[in-house]
Amino acid sequence: MNRVGVWRFVALALALLAGPRLAAATPPNIVLVLADDLGFSDLAPYGSEIDTPTLGALAREGIRFTNYHTAASCAPTRGMLLTGVDSHRNGVPNIPETISPQQQEHANYRGTLGHNVVTVASLLQDAGYHTYMAGKWHLGQTPDLLPFRRGFERTVTMADSGADNWEQKAYIPIYPRANWYADGERTTLPGDFYSSRFLVDKMIEFIDANAADGRPFFAYLPFQAVHIPVQAPAAFRDKYQGVYDAGWTELRKQRLARARELGIVPPDAGMVTMSTTGDWASYSPEMQRYHARRMEVYAGMVDAMDHHLGRLVEHLKRIGRYQDTVFIFTSDNGSEASGGDDVRSLGMRLALRLNDYSNDYDTLGEQGSFNSIGPSFASAAAGPLAFYKFYAGEGGMRVPLIMAGAPLLLERQQTDAFAYVTDITPTILALADVSAPPGRYGGRPVEPMVGRSLLPLLRAESDRVYGPDEPIGYELAGNAALFLGDYKLVRNRPPVGDDQWHLYNIVTDPGETRDLAGQMPQRFERMQALYEQYAVDNGVLPVSPDYDQASQGVYNALKERFTPQILLLVLTFLVLLPFWLFYRYRRA
Amino acid sequence: MNTVLKVLVVLAGLFFVVMGLRWAVDPAGAAATLGMPLLEGAARSSQMADIGVFFLAGGLFIFTAVITARRSWYHVPALIMFGAAIYRLIAWLFHDAAFVVDGIAVEVIVGSLLLFAGARLARD
Repeated sequence: MNRVGVWRFVALALALLAGPRLAAATPPNIVLVLADDLGFSDLAPYGSEIDTPTLGALAREGIRFTNYHTAASCAPTRGMLLTGVDSHRNGVPNIPETISPQQQEHANYRGTLGHNVVTVASLLQDAGYHTYMAGKWHLGQTPDLLPFRRGFERTVTMADSGADNWEQKAYIPIYPRANWYADGERTTLPGDFYSSRFLVDKMIEFIDANAADGRPFFAYLPFQAVHIPVQAPAAFRDKYQGVYDAGWTELRKQRLARARELGIVPPDAGMVTMSTTGDWASYSPEMQRYHARRMEVYAGMVDAMDHHLGRLVEHLKRIGRYQDTVFIFTSDNGSEASGGDDVRSLGMRLALRLNDYSNDYDTLGEQGSFNSIGPSFASAAAGPLAFYKFYAGEGGMRVPLIMAGAPLLLERQQTDAFAYVTDITPTILALADVSAPPGRYGGRPVEPMVGRSLLPLLRAESDRVYGPDEPIGYELAGNAALFLGDYKLVRNRPPVGDDQWHLYNIVTDPGETRDLAGQMPQRFERMQALYEQYAVDNGVLPVSPDYDQASQGVYNALKERFTPQILLLVLTFLVLLPFWLFYRYRRA
Repeated sequence: MNTVLKVLVVLAGLFFVVMGLRWAVDPAGAAATLGMPLLEGAARSSQMADIGVFFLAGGLFIFTAVITARRSWYHVPALIMFGAAIYRLIAWLFHDAAFVVDGIAVEVIVGSLLLFAGARLARD
């Protein structure tokens, strides 16, 4: 036994001898659950019609945040969530798939988690925690960047932006295959794979493997649900047959009404109609049926995620670890609008067929099907908020956050205090009584955490996390925001945004319906100046005026995926050109 | 008949040139096509050089044969094809390799095609 081992043994012996008093001070287990592309009102405790009993129970026993914000896209959120460091300083200001080549030249614009930051998993592992991860990573997939080398003791992880939920298959052709890894090595999925079930099974397996030693664990469970392709087992998707027949506009109204009742938004909260929302009545009955089915599958996928999360909760109760466990559930960004509402076009069907997918009504949600909910239902899923994933509107950034567990010592059940994704790591560290690294870690300098512990808020020791004059800046692909007190300065780029700054009071008007820029010119100007300062302080690189995230993604994908083929074509031409010229010369 | 034969020979040559060049620009993909992993270090160097040039040279010999219309140029790539088939048999018989019937068949067919083309198309 080495010296560290001896001291751990002594500490454990003392803890056992000291009995309940010291045992109560044992750091709690922490289960951090991240849904993918889950909209603000997609859970029952946030106003949804979708059956989510597990999360409902956690919300009842714990606390709901109604003003929690994250990045509007996947990887930047994950980077900030796990480090407490701003995305422009931790290497992940955007997803790597859509960063322009010019920006990629900058060290902090690679789209992979830099070695200038330390993950919460590393810090907890150093403090004696077991650290497990089962789910999506998307922060780099070279060996040194995989979670197995970023503080996680046991991992099973999908390294891409998404993947099929039924089999090991890339969901879009930018990936030659779905890149799954187990403990740092490539792995293959079992034949009976369904993502949410598999990830929870693996997490239970990891927890059980070390349950006997009594050490606390940190379990990071980033689900694939409900990222595209939206897929769900029949038992779950068929539960929602007929629920969405009235269409997206009606659903958005229902979500608003329910959110008002629950106090998730103010009683007089309004909402805008997004320009991308289609006119439900203009669709044929056949297409209405089709679109409703898309949403039924989506609801089934959310339901299935909740069901499998429930298995983990029940398992922890069964093995006696529930009482000393803290659960944190959130989403990586708002609802996903990609896929469009014209998904049955010939072009779309052919494109899917080329990728060995179909979006036929009868098989929607099954293996081999490719489903999305499109911008109209995405607005309902984000309802009553404006915009959705990728955009800096509330629908892209405001997501559910539920925290529960006896070790939290909660004094509140709901809060409308502003909180941000970088606050999660400091909160976890505070729970575990672990300090953030003081500027250096592992012999190298690291970025300081900018987030704050939410514990004083949870325990009613304070009413806010950030004071009314403490700004929080945000930028992703040119969409930008600055939060200051109850106000938000926001700019959304085309095609959905107008590229202009707007000012909203997001506490009284979470739907961003009343632009206050004209009424509050001084605040408007001050917040713009604060945003400029944020951009300078954090090395935010501007995007070119013609930057379009989708087009850049396609360009990068073509470059990444087809450069060898294009090069091969050119080389073949060059090699055979002399033969052709000689042949022509001989014939002449 | 001769035109069809010439087209078949050119297609075979094109396949070999592309395969050879692929070892230069996408060695992992080229290796996977042949059912092998991409090796590491010095082994990768030999793997890329020897296999890549095997295909590239075979293809260039075929195009040289078509352009010059000389029988001996048809015989060179044919010899390479039959040689590869024989080495596959040796690998199977004496060194526990799999019996890759597809590969042997392709090499024998292309080799025979080149011999036949040499007899029909050569002008010397």
